[in-house]
Order: sequence, then structure tokens, then C-alpha cells
Amino acid sequence: MPPNTPPFGEDSDMIRVHGLTKEFDDFNGVFRALDDVSFEVRPGEIYGLLGPNGAGKTTCLRILSTVLRPTRGFAEVAGINVMHDAEAVRRNIGFMSCNTGIYDRMTAREMVEYFGRLYGIPEEKLQMRIEELFDILQMNEIRDRLGSKMSTGMKQKVSIARTIVHDPPVIIFDEPTSGLDVLVARNVLQTVEALKEQGKCIIFSTHIMREVEKLCDRIAVIHRGRIVDEGTLPELADRHDQPDVEELFFDLIQKRDSELNEVTTA
Amino acid sequence: MSWKNVKLIFLREVRDQLRDRRTLFMITILPVLLYPMLGLGMVEMMLTFSEQRRVVVVLNADEMPATPSFFNENGIDEKWFSGGGEDASRLQVITDISVDVNEDNVTSGSARHGETTPAQLLQNGRALAEKLAEYKKASEERGTGDDLSEIQDRLSNAFSDSQLQVLVVIPEGYAASIAALQDDANIVEGHEESQPPSMLVVRNSADDKSVVAFSRVQSALNLWENELRAQTFEKASLRAALQNPARLKWVEVARGEQVAANVWSKMFPAMIVIMALTGAFYPAIDLGAGEKERGTMETLLISPARRVELVLGKFATILMFSIGTALMNLLSMGFTGKHMASAMAGGMADTVSLELPGFYSLMWLVILLIPLAALFSALCLALATFAKSTKEGQYYLTPLLMVIMGLTMFCLSPAIEITPLYSVIPVVNIALLLKGLLLSTSHAGELAVYAAPVLISSLGYSALALWWAIDLYNSEGVLFREAEKFSVRSWLRSLNRDKEPVPANHEAGFCFVLILFLQFVAMSYMRPDLSGSAVDAGRNILQTTVIQQLTMIACPAIFMGLLLTTSLRATFRLRMPSLNAMLMGIGLAVLAHPLSIELSSFMVQSGILPPPPEGMERISALLQSSELSPWLIITVFAVTPAICEEIAFRGFILSGLARGGRLKIAVIVSSLMFGIIHMIPQQAFNAALLGLILGLLAVHSRSLFPAIAFHLCNNAIATFHAKNGFGIEADGVFFSNYEGMLRYELPVLILCAFGVAAMVLSMVKDLRKEEEVKRARALKAFNPPTDSANHLPAGA
Repeated sequence: MPPNTPPFGEDSDMIRVHGLTKEFDDFNGVFRALDDVSFEVRPGEIYGLLGPNGAGKTTCLRILSTVLRPTRGFAEVAGINVMHDAEAVRRNIGFMSCNTGIYDRMTAREMVEYFGRLYGIPEEKLQMRIEELFDILQMNEIRDRLGSKMSTGMKQKVSIARTIVHDPPVIIFDEPTSGLDVLVARNVLQTVEALKEQGKCIIFSTHIMREVEKLCDRIAVIHRGRIVDEGTLPELADRHDQPDVEELFFDLIQKRDSELNEVTTA
Repeated sequence: MSWKNVKLIFLREVRDQLRDRRTLFMITILPVLLYPMLGLGMVEMMLTFSEQRRVVVVLNADEMPATPSFFNENGIDEKWFSGGGEDASRLQVITDISVDVNEDNVTSGSARHGETTPAQLLQNGRALAEKLAEYKKASEERGTGDDLSEIQDRLSNAFSDSQLQVLVVIPEGYAASIAALQDDANIVEGHEESQPPSMLVVRNSADDKSVVAFSRVQSALNLWENELRAQTFEKASLRAALQNPARLKWVEVARGEQVAANVWSKMFPAMIVIMALTGAFYPAIDLGAGEKERGTMETLLISPARRVELVLGKFATILMFSIGTALMNLLSMGFTGKHMASAMAGGMADTVSLELPGFYSLMWLVILLIPLAALFSALCLALATFAKSTKEGQYYLTPLLMVIMGLTMFCLSPAIEITPLYSVIPVVNIALLLKGLLLSTSHAGELAVYAAPVLISSLGYSALALWWAIDLYNSEGVLFREAEKFSVRSWLRSLNRDKEPVPANHEAGFCFVLILFLQFVAMSYMRPDLSGSAVDAGRNILQTTVIQQLTMIACPAIFMGLLLTTSLRATFRLRMPSLNAMLMGIGLAVLAHPLSIELSSFMVQSGILPPPPEGMERISALLQSSELSPWLIITVFAVTPAICEEIAFRGFILSGLARGGRLKIAVIVSSLMFGIIHMIPQQAFNAALLGLILGLLAVHSRSLFPAIAFHLCNNAIATFHAKNGFGIEADGVFFSNYEGMLRYELPVLILCAFGVAAMVLSMVKDLRKEEEVKRARALKAFNPPTDSANHLPAGA
């Protein structure tokens, strides 16, 4: 092996995760939210994290965005280890989830501008970028509206603009459509696709099968902290002999549950 | 750290706060409008306030001497009131000259419905007078106590039913007896002294209305008395000047601004503390818990700004609002107070003018406000970050406010002045210094000496609180704290199940609190019996000391160790030390002893620490003079504490605090705790300093034994030093003798300091190196796997 070749995955991988584990302490003892998770994502790819609520999707994505620190394991974004230079990792990531709200007492423009400045974008370039984003996302009419006066759809648009204002190579969407009506959700999905066309590396977590079918190039089914299986949809369907996506999902989840039960009863 | 980001965050937060109606209300509208409105309201109320008329009934009014005439047709003449007609109108005086009982029907016609007519009041007065006569008779006849009190009860009941506030009965023949006395005044000899008959007055001192009416009547009678005296003097051809032989003329040296300074020195420090706290609290809740509640915390955390930058930006915002609120409130209050004082005082404006403090004092006010606001801002931010919701955040205000108010109340007491000790106590130091500076501009120079310690210590506390806030921002558990179901049973179960080799931070903290609590109990219940001979008293002291050490220091730590940890060896550091470490412990004890003796004497002599209480000196005298064997004393004062205190402080507490790898903080905090437990300031100071060395020894050697060795040697050396100074003769170069005690001169101290510094530094260096290795090893866990064969997709 040539000395400079990375030990696994490919050089071009934007996200590399290996053996990632996260444990939380609580009253009931140590809770393992993430257990030895590994995957890679390439640029121009949408990687779906599919799992029920509480599967560990958010924990995994929070580690990638350096908000949480892993207990063990390796995670790298755009070639930067999350444990080595958290700030640089955050600079290369756009992160949007249902937990990343917008400020009530700031207008759409101020909000995007503020985060643009925190990303250190030069002022001139930032203004141009804001104009561009507001045009693309059709947010010119809410430019000067306060966050508290916006509808959910408008807020979502501001969040997207905030997520991609610094044009990051990696974008993470953590259940971006949860709680949205069909129209707004559709808009969000279209934006995600458009970003993929631009060659971004995208992680998209959800518990809705339809979105995965439509959007994702590869998926990982995650349940109770572990990736149960990973691959493209046809691959998974083949492997488990289940053409119906929904059934496939349930089968995989059940498999993991029974595995865990064996462990606890053994 | 990027200051640009801090500034960005600061500007955003300020704008955000200014767009919040509640904040604007708290910092601007409230002070700008509230105080003037309150002030205005008070002035208005004062002006419209009129004292209700009180009823005074005078019987036998015609018995008063005609000149000077006390009554006119409306009651008591205006001229007998210092306040003139206004005062006179506050009393409704009903005399039997002005009201004729027979006119009852006529007067009642003019009276409003439901109001008792003067005639009725007069009748009530007469009925009362009868009861009074009865009472007087009974008391003169010395009736049995029961009878008398019964009559008094009846009188009292009748009085409260009568709607009278004061009843005055002028004795029969009063005018005549006065006139007779006036005539008698001419004849100096041959006449026995006779008093005029006394007026009978009924009042109820438990009733404010009655008291007020009585004092008005009394002062009117005093003025009348003066006039009568003047007339009598005139009749007797005596010089009028003799009436007031003791004339006083005083010079008031309190200038207007001093009166004001006195008022402001009481109000401003209290106000500034409370306002700086409220000004910090509400924005802090909004910036900390509010951000969590509104779901924008994570948005901020995923921005490239570092946590330190976030905290500093938020801290600066809160600081600004805290200072702003305090200043706005003080200014508004100052101007309102000044305006109100002049509005109310009317003619006496010079005496009550509330001039605002001078520029010099105000400058100090602003300077001292900054560290105070910084401390509150950092503290509030930390609390607000810890809170899950704004509601939870507000629960934290009450205890914080109570503690701070308690400290402020302490400072308000006039006898409390700033001392070296107070100058390092948070909040108290600033409040006291400010009080002193506002009170006396002339002594400002003396007080300015305290400015440095006050400012430095306050900024230090602020930095500590800020560090805490930053630490909380780096803690996942705090940022993503979710409501956990808490039940005592599951908590107890988790205590038992999740035992680890060493105790947790909070368990260490609890151990300290427990020891402290036991010490307090011991202070009041476990005093050694000092009566009896010196030897007996000495024995008692020794016995009590051993019992205290065993039960109150070693026992809690050992039991907590048994119950809460899985490894006594790790918790109490029961590892074999290297010979080197043991020698280091002993060597450090020998070298540190002269330094600690000289330092603590210096602290006491310079007044920074109070001298030891007398009881202490007596105990040490008892121990030295008595014929107790030195080995016994060494066992009690060196061996026992060395083992017991080390088990508790360098064992359980230090191990618990150091969990999580924060050695530096653990050593510092454990030494502070060690100091606090020693209670007596001088000993506490010593113990805290030596605690640092002890902690370092324990952490460095991973063993308790070097610390025990140090402690034992230190205490043994101190005991011998107090007893006979090791038999060393004072030579004036290395050693000297001060009040019978061996003291060390500079050459010895320098040598010792070198030795201590060298050993401490070598230990710190070792620990640093170790920590670096450990950190590198820890980071390795997050490195990419080196063997590609390991990498297989999960589930494949």
C-alpha cells in the first residue's frame, strides 16, 4: 500500500465514518445511542439515513457537525477529523434540522447575513450571495420580515438559505421535512436535489420511506444505534428479497430488534 | 479566538434584546418613568394627605385661668400650637364652655347623619369622667388589685366606646389655685410649697390616634405653661431671662452634601447591587435558556464560531445591559430623589437638599459597577445556560437574589466598614467600598488603598464565573439536557449500580459539605472541658481532638468511599509510593514550615487576617505548660490529623474532584475546601496554601502516603516550634526571637522558597508531560483505522 493512500474508502470521499460510538450517561446507566457505525459519502451523492425516531440518526449527524463529541471512533468531513479541528469542519458543513430554528426577532435578511458573517465570507461576496440565494429560493418578499411573523414554509426557506450561505461542500439534512405540509416538504426536497446537481455531498436523514425512494442514491437503515444494512435500494431489495421498500424497512428493523433481544436474553 | 466573531455575536444579541419589548421595558421605561412617577405620586399624596381630626374632650374648661386663655370658642386657641391654625384644625376640641348639653337638639340637627354630635361626645366625656373619678378613688383607697383592675377594665372599655381620643379633666378650683400660687410667689418665706392640682388625662397609648392627639394636647399645654410662667415671672418682677437659663446655641457642621452623601451612601450600594443583578438576569435568561427554548441554540452551535466566542459575545451583551440598567436606575432615582426632596422640604431646602454625589464619587461608582456587573453577568449566564427553559431559569433567580440581598443587607449596617478581609469577599467588597467612598470624600485617599484588592478580586471572581459559563457551554449534557424523570428510587439504584472506582465530582462535594456540617455541629456540642487542672484540661483537649478527627473527618470519607466507589485503593490512593516521593513529602514539609509561619504572621500583623481568637491561645498555652508527654501531643496533633484529614481531603475529595482529568482545578478546589474546614482565618489561610502542596504531592505520586508524610512532619514541626523552637538559639541572622517564638529571617526564607519552588515545579512539569501523553493517547481513539481489512460495511 502506498504510504499516502488513506487506509479505507476512497480519496474522494467527503464524509468518512468508522466505528463511531456515542454513549450518554443517564439515571438508568450508560445509554449507547450510536454503536460502531461506519459509512462513507461521495460528492454528488445523497446518502439516506433511514431509521425510526430515536434510532441514533440525530446523534450521528450531530457528531458530524461537531456539536457532540464521539465516545470512540473516527469521523472525518472534507478530510478534517471532527476531533482535531471542529471549527474547520463546521466551516465545511451546512447543517439543517428541525432543531435548528431561526431567530424570532431577526428578519430573513439579517439572519442569513449574520450567519454569512460568522462563516467569515467577505462582505461584498456575501451580499452577492444573499441576493442570489433570495432569488433562487424566492424569498424576496420576506426579506425584511421578522422571524416571528413568518409561516413555517418561510422559516424553512430562511433555514435553507442559512444552511448554504457559505456554499459548503457537505450538507446535512436531519429530518428537514418533519412537521411540514406537503407543498413545503416538496420544495425542500427539490432544493436538496438541486444541491446534489451542484455536486454537493449530502446526508439526508428521515423516517419517511417515500423520500428515500425519490431522493437517495444510497441508504443506510439505522436502528437502535447500529446500521442494519447499507447500499442502493435495488441492492438492498435483492439482498433481502423484498421489493417493497416499506416491508424491507420493517424487516431490517425487526432483524435488529430480534438480534438485540437475543443479546439481552442470552 | 476571533474577536470579530465575538463582536458579531455581541451586536446581534444587543439588537435582539433591544427588539424585545420586555427588555426595553426593564432597562429604560421602568427606571425613566417609574421613579419620577413614584416620586410624583408620593409628593401628591403628601400634599393631599390631611390628618383626620381627633376628638379631645375637655371638662371643667371654665376652671382654666383666664389669662393666658387656653381656650377660645372653637376649642384650644391657635396660638398654643407651633403649627398655628393648621395644627389646631387637626384637633376637634370639645369643651363644656363651647357646647351646651341642653342645646343637644339644635346641634344634632346640623350634624350629618351618623356622626356623633359634639354634645353627645361631651356627654360621653362626662360619663367617662365619672368612671375616672371612681377609678381614682379606688386607687387612692388602695383597693384590692382585682377591684382596681376591674375598674380599670371598665374605664378602658368605656373609653374605647366613647369615640374620644383624649379626655382632659381640669380639676375644680384650678384657676384659683394657680392665682393663689402666683400671689404666693411674692412671699418667699413662711409658706409651704404647694403644687397646683394636676389635670387628669385619659389616653390609650396602644391606640395611635389617641397618642397623636395626646401629644398635640401636651405640646399645646407646654406652650401655655411657658406663657403662664412668663406672666408669673413678670408679676414676681423676676427677669424674664431666668426662664431659660440653659440656652443652647449649636453649630451644624453637616453640610448639605454630607446629609445627601449619608442618604446616598445607604441607598446607592444596595440599589446598584440589586439593579446590576436584575439588569443581568433577564437578558441572561433570554440569551441562555431562551435560546434553548426557541430552538436556536443548535443553529448557533453549528456555526463556525467557537464556544468561547459565543459565551464572550453573550457575556458582553449581558454586561452592557447590567451596567445600563444599574446606571439608568441610579440616575433616575438620584434625580427624582433630589427633586422630591426640594419639592417636599419647601422652606427648609438647605437642610434636606439631596445633592447628587460629586463627580469623583460618581466616577468610582461607575468603575466599581463594572466588576460587579461582570460577576453577575457571568453568574447569570452560567445559570441561564444550565437551565432547560426560561421558566426553570427564573427559579434560579430567587436563591441568587436572596444570597446577594443578604450580603447587601450586611453592608448596609452602619457599623460595618471595609477591612482587608471584606475587601476580597465578592459583592460585599464592592458594596462596602462604594459606601465608604460615597460617605466621605475626605477619606477617599484611605479607602483608595482598598480599590486594588477589591477590583482585582472582583474581576477574579468574574473570570471564574465566566470560566464556569464557558465550561457549561462545552458540556453536552448541559446543552442537550432533556427533562429526565427523576425518582428517588431510581436515583438510589443508579448510585449503587453505576459505582466507579473513584467518586464523582458531586459526591466529593457532598463529602465536603458533610464534613463542614459536622464541624459546625461539633463547634457547639463538642467543646472540650477546660475546667480542672491544666493537665486534665489538656487531656480533655487531646481527647476531643482525636474524637473529632476520627468521627467527623475520617469517618464520612471512609464510609462514602465504601458505599459509593468500587475501589478503595483508587479512591484513597493506597498505592506504594516511590522512596523519592516520600522524601519529597518530608523535605517539602521541612522547607515549607518557615515560609508558612512567616507568611501567616505577616498576614496577621498587617491586619489582613484577624489574630487567632483568645480561646486558641489559651488551649495552646495549656498544652505547652502541662506535663503531657510530647509523644502524646505528636500522636494527637500530627499523626491523627495527618491520617484522617488526608483520607478525607487528598483521598475521597481530591479523587472525586479529579475525575474527568481536571487535575489543576481539583487540587485548587480541594485545598480551598481544606482551608475552609479549618475555620480560624489564620489556620484556614495556612491550610489552603499547604493544601496546594499536599494535593500536588498526592496527584504526582498517585499515593496518599507522601501527603500523609508531609502533613505529619508539618504538624509535628509546628508543635515543636511552638513548644521550644527546636532549641535553636536566635542569632539575628538566620533566626530571631519574637515574643518568645522562634522566627525565621530572610536568608532562611529565601533558601526554603528556592527548595519548595524547585520541587513544586518539577512535579508540575512531570504532570504536564504525563497529561500531554494522555491527551495524545486519547485523541488516538478518534484516528482513522490503520488496517483497511478492518473496514467492512456493517451487516454485509
